[in-house]
Amino acid sequence: MSNPAPEVPAVRLQGIGKRFPGVIANDNINIDVMRGTIHAIVGENGAGKSTLMKILYGVQRPDSGTIEVDGTQVSMGSPADAIKAGVGMVFQHFQLADNLTVLENVVLGAEKLHGIGGRARQRIVEISDSYSLGVEPDELVEDLGVGARQRVEILKVLYRGARTIILDEPTAVLVPQEVDELFGNLRGLKEEGLAVIFISHKLDEVLSVADEITVIRRGTTVTTVTEPSSVTARDLAELMVGSELPRASSEASTVTDEVLLSVQSLSLPGSGARPLLDDLSFDIHRGEILGIAGVEGNGQAELVEAIMGMRERATGSIRLIDTDLSSASTRQRRESGIGYIPEDRHRHGLLLDSPLWENRVLGHQGRPPSVKHGIVDKRAARQDTLRIIDEYDVRTPGPGVLARALSGGNQQKLIVGREMSGDPILLIAAHPTRGVDVGAQAAIWNHIKTARREGLAVLLISADLDELIGLSDRIEVILRGRFVGSFDPSDVTPQQLGSAMTGAGASA
Amino acid sequence: MRRTTKIAALLSAGILALTACGSDDPETSTDPGTGGESTTSEETEAPQSDIMVGMAYDVGGRGDQSFNDSAAAGLDQAVAEFGVTSQESEAEDGEAENAREERLRTFADAGFNPIIAVGFAYGPSIGVVSAEYPDVNFAIIDDSSVEADNVASLVFAEEQGSFLVGAAAALKSETGQVGFVGGVETPLIQKFQAGYEAGVAAVDPDITVDVTYLTQVPDFSGFGDPAKGKTAAQGMFDNGADIVYHAAGGSGGGVFEAASESGNLAIGVDSDQYNTADPSVQDVILTSMLKNVDVAVYTYLSEVVGGNVPSGVTTYDLAVDGVGYSTSGGQVDDIAADLDAYKQQIIDGEIEVPTAP
Amino acid sequence: MSSARLVSFLLGLLAAVLALVAAFAITSLVLIIAGDPVGEVWGEILTFPEQRNLANIINNATVLYLSGLAVAVAFKMNLFNIGVDGQYRIAAFVAAVVAGEAWLPGYLNTALAILAAVLVGAAWAGIAGLLRATRGVSEVISTIMLNFISTSVVAYFLRKAAVREEGSNTLGTREIPEGSRIPSFSIGDGPGTEIYGFIFIAVAAGFAYWFVLNKTRFGFNLRATGQSTTAAVASGISVKRMTIGAMLISGGVAGLVGLPILFGDSYSYGSTFQSGLGFAGIAIALLGRNHPIGIALGALLFAFLDEQSNPLQILVGVSPDIVAITQGVIVLTVVISYELVRRFGVRLEQQQVAKADKPVDEPKEVTA
Repeated sequence: MSNPAPEVPAVRLQGIGKRFPGVIANDNINIDVMRGTIHAIVGENGAGKSTLMKILYGVQRPDSGTIEVDGTQVSMGSPADAIKAGVGMVFQHFQLADNLTVLENVVLGAEKLHGIGGRARQRIVEISDSYSLGVEPDELVEDLGVGARQRVEILKVLYRGARTIILDEPTAVLVPQEVDELFGNLRGLKEEGLAVIFISHKLDEVLSVADEITVIRRGTTVTTVTEPSSVTARDLAELMVGSELPRASSEASTVTDEVLLSVQSLSLPGSGARPLLDDLSFDIHRGEILGIAGVEGNGQAELVEAIMGMRERATGSIRLIDTDLSSASTRQRRESGIGYIPEDRHRHGLLLDSPLWENRVLGHQGRPPSVKHGIVDKRAARQDTLRIIDEYDVRTPGPGVLARALSGGNQQKLIVGREMSGDPILLIAAHPTRGVDVGAQAAIWNHIKTARREGLAVLLISADLDELIGLSDRIEVILRGRFVGSFDPSDVTPQQLGSAMTGAGASA
Repeated sequence: MRRTTKIAALLSAGILALTACGSDDPETSTDPGTGGESTTSEETEAPQSDIMVGMAYDVGGRGDQSFNDSAAAGLDQAVAEFGVTSQESEAEDGEAENAREERLRTFADAGFNPIIAVGFAYGPSIGVVSAEYPDVNFAIIDDSSVEADNVASLVFAEEQGSFLVGAAAALKSETGQVGFVGGVETPLIQKFQAGYEAGVAAVDPDITVDVTYLTQVPDFSGFGDPAKGKTAAQGMFDNGADIVYHAAGGSGGGVFEAASESGNLAIGVDSDQYNTADPSVQDVILTSMLKNVDVAVYTYLSEVVGGNVPSGVTTYDLAVDGVGYSTSGGQVDDIAADLDAYKQQIIDGEIEVPTAP
Repeated sequence: MSSARLVSFLLGLLAAVLALVAAFAITSLVLIIAGDPVGEVWGEILTFPEQRNLANIINNATVLYLSGLAVAVAFKMNLFNIGVDGQYRIAAFVAAVVAGEAWLPGYLNTALAILAAVLVGAAWAGIAGLLRATRGVSEVISTIMLNFISTSVVAYFLRKAAVREEGSNTLGTREIPEGSRIPSFSIGDGPGTEIYGFIFIAVAAGFAYWFVLNKTRFGFNLRATGQSTTAAVASGISVKRMTIGAMLISGGVAGLVGLPILFGDSYSYGSTFQSGLGFAGIAIALLGRNHPIGIALGALLFAFLDEQSNPLQILVGVSPDIVAITQGVIVLTVVISYELVRRFGVRLEQQQVAKADKPVDEPKEVTA
């Protein structure tokens, strides 16, 4: 897809540098994005993709380097400047008001362009038609699915006159079928002469849609691949990591007959008529990893919190070996042997402004070595933190630094190490490798697999279908709070799972 | 931190030295007052201007349009007539008990003598400090709990003045219903209420008196909240009262407003409020119960200047015109004879006015 | 580690110095604008206090310290107990009544009164805690409301319980019998150099505060909840129980606030009993960063400024309100400078962490 030389790139980044203390930001980034192409930027988490996009979208100013749009050097002090220069951004988390219509959402903040009435509606229909986005201006956003909302976001950006569109991890929230639709839309955009910048770490998707791929590692551009057909996902991954990379692959089954966790008729009423969890029953055996697949927001988070005792209105029975935990407190559940890696480590897993050793105590306030007879044993806690730092390869100067100072991967390794201490019977791992780098990911997978071999029961929730398939012994698909299909990971494809997750496929 | 303090201290000490020549140094002139065995008779032989009066106000201080101001007026008069010098200090809201003591001690240490404490809140402090400085003379207004040779208690027969304005209200009322708005429910203000009610009853026992207090101790905001005063008075007027007497300090302005808006009358307190109130509400002020703190302060100081430092309790009552009623505006001229008759009866002891309701 | 501790200590010191210098500068500016003698004012404030002033400073600091502690307990859990003011007043009143009635002899009476004060303070604050835990009512709103209510409650019962001394216009509870007063000790000669004996109880309270918060599981849970409710819940802490617990303790300590005055100075609760201490406590807890020693320094500073400002009007002719300005400005500058220094510290630490992270991670150059 390489175009002849003399053409001016839609966006040219030259020598972009941005330094933050302690975090890898950007250093000498050089990228040319041509009109009429989809340009993917890949890199592992923390490689500097987000910083780069923030710079391009005017949220942050670079310390060095220049940005050119259509051959003219621009200075972007704010998103408004970026939009003026024709650069628009679609965020991973949609920025739509649910209770407004599509029209209202689109014109909100851009009232000056085409008013808020008939002219605006006409313009929206025009855009929607010319890029086949299929957006109806008068629909309420709350009635739209995830894919449709994303199209509204894209339309919002086009409405504001963007000629270059940045999409930040747009497929993270989509099931495979929706991903295909999105890619169709993106190809429509590029055919109309727009430049699309596509940020992702899902390499198969990148390879299927991008015309050019730039790899970023440790804040700098490693290379730009102009012929995606010439590389494999593995090649790209190795470029991203800079070394051989691990895989999530299950080993020989260690599942036994012994039921460790037994959940019966677990329900959780919602605010409306539909319950958040609807009569879920399942067992997890010694040495078994049960994976839960589902589009986000279908009850995974509620399931985890119900088992952890964090949802007061949950009903049903939960037994851990011989202990009935149905009405136990979170603390009692933890102390009877449940380890918990929460989905959002900043909100649920860590005290960011406390030192690591205090974070080691968190969740283990009732147990040695950290607490004895109601008194916190600082020495023992520090000692045990050093053990975790060592065993789980947490990169830190010592147990006294604040959790905030650590990178995401190291924070997560600390959490895993903590939750594995005290020999848990059951580990609940919600998105255990979300937002961590590949190295930490491999380490965490290894720890989970090792523990499983030693007889741990694991409930694994993940949005990463490869991770689920690679680690689980059994996968249940959750949809609107109900289990809608049970799969054997050894003979299921991500596509099959995706169908079940959206309710399209037949349940097995 | 310590270094900063040192530097700052050094710096300020330097500036202090530079400015010292410009300011009157109180300490050089203090010696006669505190010097060892000096007695009061020696003091009077010294020139008049040697007397330095320390004035410790209650919260609000000079400019409160009320009680403190009245004391200040007496002081000003003494300064003008006798050439005494004076220094003032006022209490802060919610200050510590020992801050009041410290204020008195600072005056005493700086050579002020006599020291006048304005307000009953100083009662305990005067008790403590007067014992520490037996050679310094103290006066306290509105409190007579301390008995010492160097303490003069200046108290008022508020109930007697209130009796007269109560009688005035009863004589002027057309609806047979009058009101009383107290600032804060303290024993002191209850004296006003008791006298007022007795005055009303003396004229016509059938007249009802509505009574309300704006706040309760220890919340003293009732003495400085016109909005509260207005609401309370409005309620009384709506209820059928046509004259309201307030003993609520700064809150009284609201009472006058309420009277003005509803076309009724109000009675002022402490000073002749006809002269000090906003002109727009002047005509609703029937009369004011005069509590002549200024007279008490002036009299006390004149005696000090005269060489005869008073001690013990001095009650300012109708007989010595320490309390009374005002006639500005002329609204009570037609009943002045009645009121003066009551006054005489009280002075003669024919009527004994209660001090508690 | 000791060097890291030193760094954090120095940073803390730097923040305090920064804040004080800024506050002094701003106050001086106000003085200059008002045309008041800057030098004389500072000269008066910064002279070394005389013995009896020193005693006053220590005594007032004792009271302020307890108030600061009470606020800090709640602060540690991200609760804003604005109600310390109402809590200490109602508690001191009850203690005064109990001690005044003297149902028990001597120090048993004292102990009973202190216990009563702690319980009443705790109960009063507990109402706000309960409302917050069960109904989600903001403790800021409820404690402000409870302040008003306590004013009225005290006023109502004071009139019932009050005895009036002949000739005095103040209302007060029955005086505490001499045998139940807490003896003071003198730090010098002459009158007014007595220090409240209650200071030892205040110091013990400070130590208990430190121990409970930093050494016990309860304290850990409290701090964890204060930092992140969500993380606390996930770790098995019952946030409701901690909310009520923190308010109870905060109120219990608040119950002690008025007692040094009660048992060491006034011996009765009357209409002139010192008010507003709870609000000063908020400023002092902020100033002391909720640290038991920091709060002590903050309390001493505030007491020092209050005491030294007292003669300003008499000797310099400047209203002591200037010191209220200084105190207010200090609170603001302290908040700002602590935040600045905190950010600086975090940066410093992140750099260290980055250093630790680097050597292992150094990539072999791979080019495509």
